[in-house]
Amino acid sequence: MDEEPERAKRWEGGYERTWEVLKEDEFGSLKATVEEILFQSKRKRALESHGQVRLGMMRHLYVVIDSSRTMEDMDLRPNRLKATLKLMEAFVEEYFDQNPISQVGLITTKNKRAEKLTELAGNPKKHLAALKKARDAACVGEPSLYNSLNLAMQTLKHMPGHTSREIVVIFSSLTTCDPANIYELIKTLKSLKIRVSVIGLSAEVRVCTVLTRETGGTYHVCLDESHFKELLMFHVKPPPANAQSECSLIRMGRCAHVCFSQTLKHSQTHLDSTSEVGLSLGGYFCPQCHAKHTELPVECKICGLTLVSAPHLARSFHHLFPLEAFRETPLEELPADRFCHACQGKLKDKIVFTCPFCSGVFCTECDLFIHDSLHCCPSCINSQHSN
Amino acid sequence: MKLNIEGLLVYFPYDYIYPEQYSYMLELKRTLDAKGHGVLEMPSGTGKTISLLSLILAYQKAYPLEITKLIYCSRTVPEIEKVVEELRKLIEFHCKETGEANNFLALALSSRKNLCIHPEILHANIVVYSYHYLLDPKIADLVSKELTKKAVVVFDEAHNIDNVCIDSMSVNITRRTLDRCTSNVETLQTTIQRIKETDAAKLKEEYRRLVEGLKEANVARVTDVYLGNPVLPAEVLQEAVPGSIRTAEHFVGFLKRFLEYLKSRLRVHHVVQESAPQFLKDIFQKVCIDRKPLRFCAERLRSLLRTLEISDLTDFSAITLISNFATLVSTYSQGFTIIIEPFEDRTPSIANPVLHFSCMDPSIAIKPVFERFQSVIITSGTLSPLDIYPKILDFRPVTVASFTMTLARTCLCPLIVGRGNDQVALSSKFETREDFAVIRNYGNLLLEMSGVVPDGIVAFFTSYMYMENIVASWYEQGILENIQRNKLIFIETPDAAETSMALEKYQEACENGRGAILLSVARGKVSEGIDFVHHFGRAVIMFGVPYVYTQSRILKARLEYLRDQFQIRENDFLTFDAMRHAAQCVGRVIRGKTDYGLMIFADKRYARADKRGKLPRWIQEHISDGSLNLTVDETVQMSKHFLRQMAQPFRQEDQLGLSLLTIEQLESEEMLKKISQMAHQA
Repeated sequence: MDEEPERAKRWEGGYERTWEVLKEDEFGSLKATVEEILFQSKRKRALESHGQVRLGMMRHLYVVIDSSRTMEDMDLRPNRLKATLKLMEAFVEEYFDQNPISQVGLITTKNKRAEKLTELAGNPKKHLAALKKARDAACVGEPSLYNSLNLAMQTLKHMPGHTSREIVVIFSSLTTCDPANIYELIKTLKSLKIRVSVIGLSAEVRVCTVLTRETGGTYHVCLDESHFKELLMFHVKPPPANAQSECSLIRMGRCAHVCFSQTLKHSQTHLDSTSEVGLSLGGYFCPQCHAKHTELPVECKICGLTLVSAPHLARSFHHLFPLEAFRETPLEELPADRFCHACQGKLKDKIVFTCPFCSGVFCTECDLFIHDSLHCCPSCINSQHSN
Repeated sequence: MKLNIEGLLVYFPYDYIYPEQYSYMLELKRTLDAKGHGVLEMPSGTGKTISLLSLILAYQKAYPLEITKLIYCSRTVPEIEKVVEELRKLIEFHCKETGEANNFLALALSSRKNLCIHPEILHANIVVYSYHYLLDPKIADLVSKELTKKAVVVFDEAHNIDNVCIDSMSVNITRRTLDRCTSNVETLQTTIQRIKETDAAKLKEEYRRLVEGLKEANVARVTDVYLGNPVLPAEVLQEAVPGSIRTAEHFVGFLKRFLEYLKSRLRVHHVVQESAPQFLKDIFQKVCIDRKPLRFCAERLRSLLRTLEISDLTDFSAITLISNFATLVSTYSQGFTIIIEPFEDRTPSIANPVLHFSCMDPSIAIKPVFERFQSVIITSGTLSPLDIYPKILDFRPVTVASFTMTLARTCLCPLIVGRGNDQVALSSKFETREDFAVIRNYGNLLLEMSGVVPDGIVAFFTSYMYMENIVASWYEQGILENIQRNKLIFIETPDAAETSMALEKYQEACENGRGAILLSVARGKVSEGIDFVHHFGRAVIMFGVPYVYTQSRILKARLEYLRDQFQIRENDFLTFDAMRHAAQCVGRVIRGKTDYGLMIFADKRYARADKRGKLPRWIQEHISDGSLNLTVDETVQMSKHFLRQMAQPFRQEDQLGLSLLTIEQLESEEMLKKISQMAHQA
């Protein structure tokens, strides 16, 4: 069930005019336009990197998921709620992969109320479990933007000033049922420097436009599932920091994994988790108080030190020095040797990508992989080694 | 920016310009060059006002002898204020660019609180005021008669100008009017008596003047000092006031007789319709009133009121009305009809006799304007079909052009819904008006739309009665309750205070994300004067075709007259009238290029070429063949798609070069060529 999404029957879906999206090229073929669309969408995200700006690396993010009646709409398959939750799972994983020293929390809103699904936490497991559980919940009533923002704000406002406070709202309904004037709340959010972004699932709603404009967030409305995913993944990257936000040095403990075969020790994280109490051999020790933890990143339960591992820091680091976008060059300009420097495949696309430093040539797929995952040019590194 | 429009230097106070604005100015300049009249259609929100003002101002600067004045007529006070705001910006820009001190004087006549009586205002270069100051003979005489001949007159939002003309010339007389007249006459009588005792010389002086006749006025007209007044016909000016009404007492007696006659005419039990000559014949037979003194009635009353030094003329509005009626009925043998109805159609049991003296020819009121001023420009967002206005207003334009909106993205989406999901044809036509299935499908349409359209929806019905019926039926079927789960519902009523309250709450609901629907009526206050920018109107639904109430006798008489005089078929005119109101209604949502909105025509009759062809070009060109006869479901899907597309980020850069130009882009060879082809000559 989980792997295979329930496919809605064609006749259960809405009326579509699939033929209108397609346009013929000059030879009457449809292939070019479709490829063009795909290509454009791939390129867009790579180009949107910020360059050298100060980023809010330590993020405290609340994601508000609308669970109102409108989430049962079937324009996203199988319905809006399930599609959203599935994408959210991917989002949470990606988020912690890219922002290991950040935290996330989930809020749902339905029936004019807002409810915390999970508290702010730096561990993806809990969130994933909560998201799985939420699939069976019913979608009823109207959402309340005010209540959910207020709930998120109550926690976020106690977060330290050097962190980036963010709320992302996934908003499917066109109405909101508020107990008070939301414009007052927007002012408060603005003064607390909480950035609110909204992803709309149906259409542009005025109050969201104002909300995002005032608090400095972004507002997008999704066109279809893939666009939705793109919009959601956009929030994986840390946003540029507010000019006024504080700067401070943070003390962190870097611990290496240690394996003990003889001395079994209860790890601190296990002590307070009720679900899976158990003993393990391996773990991480806090360099300050020597408490043992099974997972990183985590805040030490004993001394409150933030514990991270080296790869975590490295992964956060790359956001500060993003790999420059590669130059687009038409395939014809290349000399005879037309192979991708990364995957060694033959270059077939009309356009190829060239690294501005080492002039390595890459295909579209590899370009994406390099910019999304590797964050460094393999050809450059290779040449450094050989030197 | 500074523009060069066929050799004329025009200061334009913005950094960017729409291509259609440039094209509009081009056509306008040609009209002014030819010293002729023009009919220009350009969608609202594309900057008509500023284009008009900046071109005409530049023209005045360049050729001060050709044009000395601009008279800008608009409809409502807020519109006048908007014009003044633009004008202020323009003049500021002008001063900054040229470094000269401001030597332009603009004058806006809006309300009493802005009143100025400084004599210098007579020399104002620009006058902004309401239509009525120029068209209504009663006011025009006071305000506009001294305006110079070398002026350009602009009628903005002029799609209803024929009705304004007709209304300004028509007179309705009820029992109450006559009662107030009687008291007016009594006041006159006592005042005359008093003056006679204290200052008899004054009345004698008046008598002498009347013998002299209205020569003064005649001299003025011949030498072309004044604007003609349709209530003061040329024959009257050449003759002396007839002896029978020359003395004040005789005139009062005459008025009394006339009033008695009118009262007797109102005592009818069935509808009477007659022409002006028939009426004159009857009045001669019954009370021996001749045609000639009747004709002098209005002028004679004015003279009397002046002599008696009565300052508060509003008290005498009833008797002024009657005397104007007397003059009109005896002057024009054609173009007017008299209908006496013993009761209103809706309430046949309550006696409420009304005498309609109804003007059928709008050209009578506007004729002096066309004759006097060298250029008259009629402009609006919806003037289609363009050829009908010159016909019914009886003038010959030198330019007739329609401009469309150049768009970087298709921001309007007109859809014609012809069927319900059960394939029942949707229509508001008389036979299916009570049909349960149609009403249910209309309800379903609104319900579905309320679920997909964000913020505000405006729905228009063809009449208050129709709206009441439908809403009552929706309530019984529980549709209203379902709609209210999505949005709040507000209703326009004939009461102005209630409506403005509803509007205010509607806007509040749109603003804070609750969403709202405004149910209103085509031809009502909402359909004419109120703009629903951005989120205040993301969709307009037009339930039915807004034909006028065709059983009205006045309308029937007018249709007959149009057929006989202008060879316009009844059906053509009715459709034209219905479509211009429909266009007005749906045009409420698009108020600029960054705005977007759905226009839903819920009646299968809109799909017919004769209806569709009468919509303005800028709406028509977006109706694709595929969206002519949609079902409710299809409409919902297309709306969803459209709204998603429109919600994508749209920045100014996206418009630049396509629908928004900088001066460099404008001056490129290619663009100029494109623009010169833009105006659609009708």
